[in-house]
Amino acid sequence: MIGSIPLTHVLLTSGALFVIGLAGALLRRSAITIFLSVELMMNAANLALIGYGAALGTLEGQIAVFFVIAIAAAEASVGLAIFVALFRHTETIDVNRINLLKW
Amino acid sequence: MDRLVFDAAAAIAVLFAALMVLHRNPIKSVLALVVSFFFLAVCYVLLSAPFLAAIQVIVYAGAILVLFLFVLMLLNIPQEISQQEQRPIQQLLGGAAILLFAVLLISLLSARGATRVSSAGAPKLAADQIAPLARLVFSEYLLSFEALSVLLLAALVGAFVLVEREKRP
Repeated sequence: MIGSIPLTHVLLTSGALFVIGLAGALLRRSAITIFLSVELMMNAANLALIGYGAALGTLEGQIAVFFVIAIAAAEASVGLAIFVALFRHTETIDVNRINLLKW
Repeated sequence: MDRLVFDAAAAIAVLFAALMVLHRNPIKSVLALVVSFFFLAVCYVLLSAPFLAAIQVIVYAGAILVLFLFVLMLLNIPQEISQQEQRPIQQLLGGAAILLFAVLLISLLSARGATRVSSAGAPKLAADQIAPLARLVFSEYLLSFEALSVLLLAALVGAFVLVEREKRP
C-alpha cells in the first residue's frame, strides 16, 4: 500500500506538524494549549515512525508508536491532574502568572 | 490514488493543527486537534497501520482529548487574553521554530531524488492484520509491555493523589 506514497511527503507532514507544535508550545501562554502542542509534537513523531516502518517493511515502528500512545495517555492524566490542582491553588493557568517557584 | 488521499488528509491535519495553535478559545483548540488526529488516523491507514489508526481514534481522539475537554469545562477556564505580555524571548523562539521548519524543508527537498525508499522497493508487510503485531508485543516486547502496565497504574494513582483535596481537620 505504501507503494505509491513517497516517504518525503510523510516526513514533510511530520516536520510541519512538529514545528507547529513547537511554535505553539513556545508562543502560547495557556498551559492547556501548551500541553496540546506537546501532544501534537508526539503525533508528528508517531507519523514519522510509522512512515519509516512502512518504508522499511518492519513492524518495529508500529510497536514504538503503540508504546508512545500508551505513555501519552499516562502523561495526559497526570498533567491534567497537575493543572486541576494548580487551578484550585492559583485560579489561573496562564504560565506567565504561575511563578511561585521563581526566585 | 493512495497518494492523493494521503496528501489531502495530511494537508487537512496540518491545517487543523495550525488552527489549534492559533485559536484563543481552548475548547475550540481541543476540537481542532480532534479533527487533526482523525485525519492523521487516515494517514496511518494509508501507511498500512490500521491497528494504530483505530488506537489513534479510540485512545487519542476518544479518550485523551475528551479528558482535556472535561478538565476545561470542569474548571471553566477563561479565554486567553491578548498577547500583550508576550516576551521578546518568545518571539525569538517562534522565529527559531519557523527557521527549523525551513531547514527541514530544504533538507527534504534537496534529498528528494535519494529518498524514494518507500516507493516501489518496500516489501509488502505481512501486516494489514493485527496478529503479527500482537505476536511481537507479547514475545519480544513483553517486558516493556508489562512495564507499561505498571506505569499506567502509577499514573492512575498519581492523578488521584494530585486532585484529591486535602482533608479538613
